[in-house]
Amino acid sequence: MTAASIPAPGGPAASDFARGQRRFFALCVAPSLAVLAVITLLPSLYLFFTSFTPLSLTRPETSWDFSQPLENYRQIAADARLGNSIWVQVKLSFWTVTLQLLIGAALALLLNLRSRYLEALRTVFLIPMVLPPIVVAIIWKVVYTPDISPMHGMLAAMGIPLRSLITDPNWALTAIVVADTWEWFPFTMLMVLAALQMMPQELIDAAKVDGASAWQTTRHVTLPFLTGVLLVAGLFRLIDSIKAFPLIFILTDGGPGNVTEVTNYYSYLQAFNFSYLGFSSAITVVLLAATILLSWLIVRSVGWGARAD
Amino acid sequence: MAFHRRRVLRGVVGASAFSGAALHAPAILGQARSRHAGTTINASCFQTTYFEYLKNYFPEFEERTGIKVNFTMQAFPVYNQRTDLELSTRGSALDVVNVTFIYSGRWIGAGWLENLDRFTKDANATPPDWDPADFVAGPQSAMQNAKGETFGYAWEGGAMIMSASRFDLIEKAGLKMPTTFDELTQVLDAVHGKDGVAGFTADRLHHWNWIPYLMGQGGRVFKDPPDNLTPMLDTPAAAASAAWYANLLMKYGPDGILSYSDDQAMRSQMSGRANIRTQSITWHVPLAKHAESTVRDKVRYAVMPRGPQGDFPGSNSHGLGIPAGSRKKEAAWEFIKWALSKETMARVVKEHGYPSVCRRSIIASPTFKEVLTLNGQDVASLFLQVLELGGKTGYMKYRTVPVFPQVGDKINKAIERVATKQQDAAAAMKQAQTESIQDLQKAGLKVDL
Repeated sequence: MTAASIPAPGGPAASDFARGQRRFFALCVAPSLAVLAVITLLPSLYLFFTSFTPLSLTRPETSWDFSQPLENYRQIAADARLGNSIWVQVKLSFWTVTLQLLIGAALALLLNLRSRYLEALRTVFLIPMVLPPIVVAIIWKVVYTPDISPMHGMLAAMGIPLRSLITDPNWALTAIVVADTWEWFPFTMLMVLAALQMMPQELIDAAKVDGASAWQTTRHVTLPFLTGVLLVAGLFRLIDSIKAFPLIFILTDGGPGNVTEVTNYYSYLQAFNFSYLGFSSAITVVLLAATILLSWLIVRSVGWGARAD
Repeated sequence: MAFHRRRVLRGVVGASAFSGAALHAPAILGQARSRHAGTTINASCFQTTYFEYLKNYFPEFEERTGIKVNFTMQAFPVYNQRTDLELSTRGSALDVVNVTFIYSGRWIGAGWLENLDRFTKDANATPPDWDPADFVAGPQSAMQNAKGETFGYAWEGGAMIMSASRFDLIEKAGLKMPTTFDELTQVLDAVHGKDGVAGFTADRLHHWNWIPYLMGQGGRVFKDPPDNLTPMLDTPAAAASAAWYANLLMKYGPDGILSYSDDQAMRSQMSGRANIRTQSITWHVPLAKHAESTVRDKVRYAVMPRGPQGDFPGSNSHGLGIPAGSRKKEAAWEFIKWALSKETMARVVKEHGYPSVCRRSIIASPTFKEVLTLNGQDVASLFLQVLELGGKTGYMKYRTVPVFPQVGDKINKAIERVATKQQDAAAAMKQAQTESIQDLQKAGLKVDL
């Protein structure tokens, strides 16, 4: 393209060019959007419509029965076990996200030095995150089973016998929080490390010139710079914590009783153990709506998506 | 050489008979082979030793019939969920499935399994010596509908018995194997903690392990299954029994017992860390037979203790069936016919010591008795005793109703809440009752309120 063929800014040719460009971009993304619609939108729509039916796998006649469309939602409101699962979910999400952000950010700050030793250490810290979740769950199952656990064995040898944590209603959720934090703090660490590596050196140099101590530099320069990335990491982890499953499935099965039964797990039980797909869909729709609302509130509160112009 | 007409004729007849006999079996197998050669069937079951052993013989079946078997096994709950979903879609992904005991009523009732009578009543499909009547009636009843039509054939009959992995400790205390619930607690009081061994062990499937104690103490799961499925979980008998059983787990069990899987509970006995367990026979045999068992010369077996209201040891069965949606039903039947034939089952018993078969001819055989003579004790007779008890009185009907998985979940949770003192027994069982009723109503069932 020659300079002469580029439309002048603001002219009619420029707006034609912009329109054509937009059309071209739309055509480029159309196949991806179509695939996305088939694999995401259609199942979501099916989920949504199913939530208005009493669909049970053992009763095929219930599949498109819309005679009592709000019945599942009425049952949700009356289901005490579901209410308990939401409260368990809140506790689990709060503690896992908070701890993962704190530990991940702290370790990233400590490891943000150019050293071959520290680079190797960073890789080691990433291992939990890259392991398949079911493997992580089995590792923690070993850690938490007194008969075979190295942790219980060592503590017993030191004269500090520790009762099984995952069968103790006062400790079972904490045990899950610890395992989940171990698995996912590297995610925050990785994101923060990436942000730190992109941090302009001039900011640190300027602070040094002003006589700031290391703590003051971290407190007033580094942490404000990391706010955005911490919020992104927090949001990702929050959404992921709502999807908690393998640890609970392997370690506690939601127990003892219902103390570690989160909403996601309860929905799974309804669908796949009891065949109440309609009811499970209604729970999932509510969960999905709550997640979207929560994400939107967070995004809005930090002002993302606001147009600069 | 002189040729006599009679000798020649005899020779011809003999040769014909021999060739006829020699060719007879290959002709039948050849027929199966040509009909299904190149067919691949997909079969699935939960993780179990029977099919682990049987897999060794698959090449022989494949060689004979030309049918390739793609056999997968998953953990018990995973298998049930996957198969439940697959059957509900009437999909053709599976050709042979395990008909799980607690799902049998649901799968048969929903029409998700093929009626196998059409194969067994067809002489071309099933030779008479396969003998469907040879399967013991008790375990087989879970594979049939109310009309007596058969949708599966049992490969496992589970019979709940009791084992004491460290019987030496019981003897040392001057006691015998307990025969009643009271004696059980008396024995546990005497031996718990001795030599660092927990008195009792169990897995976390309370809706299986607890029910014999519930019934023995006068409780019931449903009012009158399968006709009246009103739950009976909030009765005084149920609450008292739940408290009694939770105490059994927490007072005499090893630390962490509430998280134990079947295998963990078995290993706690095999390693000599826990003593008494009441569970299906399959989980007791390795104590005497497994190479890793440290209690092979100390283990002792008995029937389950009886309660004040009677004797209700659990019995169950798992069978092989064909999904209604399978497109290779004939080939699938060839597999079932082979896998559950007298010859194949006898071979698995003989070569691997598998203890839970359901063919009467095998159970009555000297080989079976020999295999189930464990540490000098005749365990085969205990096995038969329980199977027949379950078949006679029908007290196991609670377990094959389509809604049992839902109610079983409530029982599991309630026992855990009682055991961990989150609730007293009466409150926990009342909650289980309320939740069960809600679930049954969700399933469209009417209950007495």
